[in-house]
Amino acid sequence: MVIVVGTALAFDFTNGFHDTANVVATSISTGAARPQVAIGVASLLNFVGAFISISVAATVANDVVDAAVITPTIVFAGLIGAIAWNLITWWFGLPSSSSHALIGGVVGSSVAAAGLDAILAEGLVGKVLIPAVVAPLVAFLVAGVGIGLAYRIAGRQRPGPVARGFRYGQVISGGLLALAHGTNDAQKTMGVITLALIANGTLGANADPPLWVIVSAATAIGLGTYIGGWRIIRTTGSRIIKMDAAQGFSAQGAGAAVILASTHFGFPLSTTHVINGGVMGAGAGKRISAVRWGVAGNIIVAWLLTLPAAAAIGAAAYGLTHIFGSGALGPVLVTLMALALVVAIFARRAQQGAPVPAG
Amino acid sequence: MATLVQTKDLIETVIASTVAGVGVIAVFSAAIWGGARFADLSRDGRPLAAGAAAVFGVLALIVTLAAVVVGIVVMSSK
Repeated sequence: MVIVVGTALAFDFTNGFHDTANVVATSISTGAARPQVAIGVASLLNFVGAFISISVAATVANDVVDAAVITPTIVFAGLIGAIAWNLITWWFGLPSSSSHALIGGVVGSSVAAAGLDAILAEGLVGKVLIPAVVAPLVAFLVAGVGIGLAYRIAGRQRPGPVARGFRYGQVISGGLLALAHGTNDAQKTMGVITLALIANGTLGANADPPLWVIVSAATAIGLGTYIGGWRIIRTTGSRIIKMDAAQGFSAQGAGAAVILASTHFGFPLSTTHVINGGVMGAGAGKRISAVRWGVAGNIIVAWLLTLPAAAAIGAAAYGLTHIFGSGALGPVLVTLMALALVVAIFARRAQQGAPVPAG
Repeated sequence: MATLVQTKDLIETVIASTVAGVGVIAVFSAAIWGGARFADLSRDGRPLAAGAAAVFGVLALIVTLAAVVVGIVVMSSK
């Protein structure tokens, strides 16, 4: 159990690390906030946001896979699948979904262990797959309509004060987005740890996450956000569209509205997809050709690959872990192999120096 | 299929997101319009019109902040 909880918190750290860009990229690229200030505030608000709601954690723990057939080893293998996919997409600077990586990893390892019966189709389709498609489209639409209205209402005034006003607005919308990110994303890890605790018999079926789970998940995502992922900040902040302050405000406002509404109903959606949908909408609302559709296309391909790829890695990780039996030996060996791989990746990156472009 | 897709929750999410998102962006833009007009009209020596623009801008800003607070309260109430 200790290894599973540790792996879940490691995933949560990579989630914050990977998704920092979602929260701060637009503020940084429009000059609304200095990078270190934006990341520091986002980190704090992610931590706070994790305490606001547990609807999403309940969905992940109870509505996606059948808790009765889940074991801590299945949860561990799913987390390995999610972390591996997060690191692969981070390497290429692609803002893919940590949430879908997590759900894909757990679904893959569950199917490998217990067959398709382990999957709760109603929860997976109704609470994950359909919102996964709808949420970025709504963010795209809201940001597109919003930027059109913003230009119509304030666009005829002198540009200086208007740009300054929207930069101030981005302080609020960026903060709200960080809070929303903490509420939705930290809860997924809480849900997975809760699922492992239920599987281990530590908690009863349909239990809510204990306080220590909430505090540790909030801390891990806050720390990951603070350390940050500069590669993806660059892609989201400047490679999809060249953004002005009004577009940054519209993208963040649309993203925060979609995430907060979805969290209320317990949909564990991808904050990455939502904010990138908002960024594309804010670009397309000004001019369709303002969006660099080649970069957007790469991101969409990564989105489509996330669930199946993380599921495949999760299933493979379960197979590998299972070779060593159902005790702690398998997870320990797989963890050591994963750590060796991570060290090798970082060493290679340090040798190469410059970031890998997404486009 | 209706149960599988949870249509009611999804539609409510879409409507709430759209109204809140577009509404907040529009109202905050109105606040910026009020602020910018206040500065221009003050410089032109039209204090009455400038005051009206300032009041409009401040009201729009208050509505924006209230919407943000309501959003957080509603989201955390479930």
